[in-house]
Amino acid sequence: MTIMQIIFLITASVTLFAALMVVSTRKMMHAAMWLILVLFGVTITFALLETRFFAIVQLVIYIGAIAILIIFAVMLTRRSMNADVPQVNRNWWLVMVSSLALFVGLVTVMSVWEGFFVTARTAPPGGENLVQLGTALVDPNGFVLPFEVASLVLLAAMVGAIYVAAERKEK
Amino acid sequence: MNLSDYYAITPLVFLVCWAIFLLLVDLWIPAGRKGITALLSAAGLLIALVLVLRSGEQVLTAFEGSVVVDGFSVFLSVLFLVSALAGIALAHDYLQRLGLERGEYYPLLLISTSGMMLMTYAYDLIEVFLALELLSIPLYILAGFSRLNLESEEASLKYFLLGAFSSGFVLYGVGLVFAATGYTDFPGIAKAAQNGSLNPTLFLIGAGLVLTGFGFKSALVPFHMWSPDVYQGAPSPVTAFMSVGAKAAGFAALLRVFVVVFPGMSVNLTPLLWALAALTMFVGNIVALVQSNIKRLLAYSSIAHSGYLLMAFVPYGNASVRSDAIAGMLFYLAAYCLTTFGAWAVVIALEKAEGKGLELEDYAGLGHRYPFLAATMTIFLLSFTGVPLTLGFWGKFYLFSTAVEGGFWQLALIGLLTSLISAYYYLRVVVIMYMRPGTPQVQRNFWPLLTSGVGALAVVILGIAPGVLLNLAVSALLKGL
Repeated sequence: MTIMQIIFLITASVTLFAALMVVSTRKMMHAAMWLILVLFGVTITFALLETRFFAIVQLVIYIGAIAILIIFAVMLTRRSMNADVPQVNRNWWLVMVSSLALFVGLVTVMSVWEGFFVTARTAPPGGENLVQLGTALVDPNGFVLPFEVASLVLLAAMVGAIYVAAERKEK
Repeated sequence: MNLSDYYAITPLVFLVCWAIFLLLVDLWIPAGRKGITALLSAAGLLIALVLVLRSGEQVLTAFEGSVVVDGFSVFLSVLFLVSALAGIALAHDYLQRLGLERGEYYPLLLISTSGMMLMTYAYDLIEVFLALELLSIPLYILAGFSRLNLESEEASLKYFLLGAFSSGFVLYGVGLVFAATGYTDFPGIAKAAQNGSLNPTLFLIGAGLVLTGFGFKSALVPFHMWSPDVYQGAPSPVTAFMSVGAKAAGFAALLRVFVVVFPGMSVNLTPLLWALAALTMFVGNIVALVQSNIKRLLAYSSIAHSGYLLMAFVPYGNASVRSDAIAGMLFYLAAYCLTTFGAWAVVIALEKAEGKGLELEDYAGLGHRYPFLAATMTIFLLSFTGVPLTLGFWGKFYLFSTAVEGGFWQLALIGLLTSLISAYYYLRVVVIMYMRPGTPQVQRNFWPLLTSGVGALAVVILGIAPGVLLNLAVSALLKGL
């Protein structure tokens, strides 16, 4: 077992444990903190796969922006900050059994696929070729249409968020 | 850089630019005069309509084959643009009356319409998913447009959560199909399916997940739970637009994806589709029987109509029936669009603030006081039922005959039986309107009355001469058929 494998095993188990804590802890704030640990674990996994770009994106966007945003949202809504309500309802065991069954089923199905056992490919020497990624996003022969549509989706979501959240002057 | 790529999707590009332009212009339009925004957006839709019709019947491919403009997409684009026009005609007075007059309504409606149009153009699973999001996100907001009304907020949140959930299903399905074949574009997947160079299990699960996601959007039983609450809580013009547009877009995606990409899967999927269609027809019609609120009644009736539409889709794997099935579904969608907007226009004319005026009892006496409204509503309800000489009859006739042609006479029988059940709750409204005494209160606004008048006229005229619409539906061919 190489050092890399040991690091991977430790990262993976910490990530999985933290993910479990995100959904099982009672305090929203704690869940947000555990979420940061999960995202950090994913960052390390990306780094182990030698994909620098994705590791940095994961770090900057997910931890730097999204997780912090979640923490702000929790802090600004006082009731959810102190909420200590039960995490599960009566049907929790039913859900657990069915999600476990789903998991086992998916793994069984996927294991018949030869791609399931291929060892992870590392990035080619010289990095992930960011220039290609960048031009593909604005190239008509690449992904310019999905890219523009995605920005339109974000615009609509932004207008909606402002509409829903903004204070109304009248009344 | 290739200009012909952009030429193919001019209507879409124009509509999107117009929506963004409206967002800006609306800032200078003073509150209380948002009718100007409404007129501007209607003008934009009309221009887009001309641009769509201009491209005619030629088949264009653009953006490396990820977008296709063909007769099918032109037919449905026209349907969506007309729906959006009706959505605006119904909305303006309504929003003013309920104190919701805000300019954001119109750009959001246009963006949602452009998402629906993109859905009909999409020839790549990535575009399909993005189109789904583009049409859904504005609808989530529009459903909650009546911000201070708890029911509307509930509708919005419910629609958002379940919609996000169903988008997850579609995305997971797309991912599995990509994993199974290595392609996201339709021709690539279809070729991989023909060569057998794919993983059949993953492919089947992927197709099933995609079906589930679209089932949510089109409100098929058992994925229909959200629709009655959302239809009831959302402002009525939004409900009308949603029940036509989102449903038609869901079916458009279903048709395009399954006919082009998954024709070989029909052996596995047919029993599933059969069960879904039968369940949807039964549950929609039977639950509608006990509704006393007109919005909920129309919501369940819209679920039932999804069932009829799906029925024609069941034999899609059978190549000899396929083009008939598509033509039948397009015809039915057009009939459903005209009838639904007309009926909602009448509902809007009677609706009052705080959800009043929506019980069936509020329609008592409409026949004597407002004969025009009652007559149009009767025409729409008869058309929903499928009484001969209305457009709805021909719609059902073509769907049922496709199902029989495809060898699914049991389904057609279920369709007939459930139509009989539906006659009870549709005709009950007619009976209440004409037989019960009452003093209904009606808001007489020009645009809703015009919508219901035009709808009624179209339903009657096309009901007498359905050949015109049928010819259009038949010639609206899918590329690759």
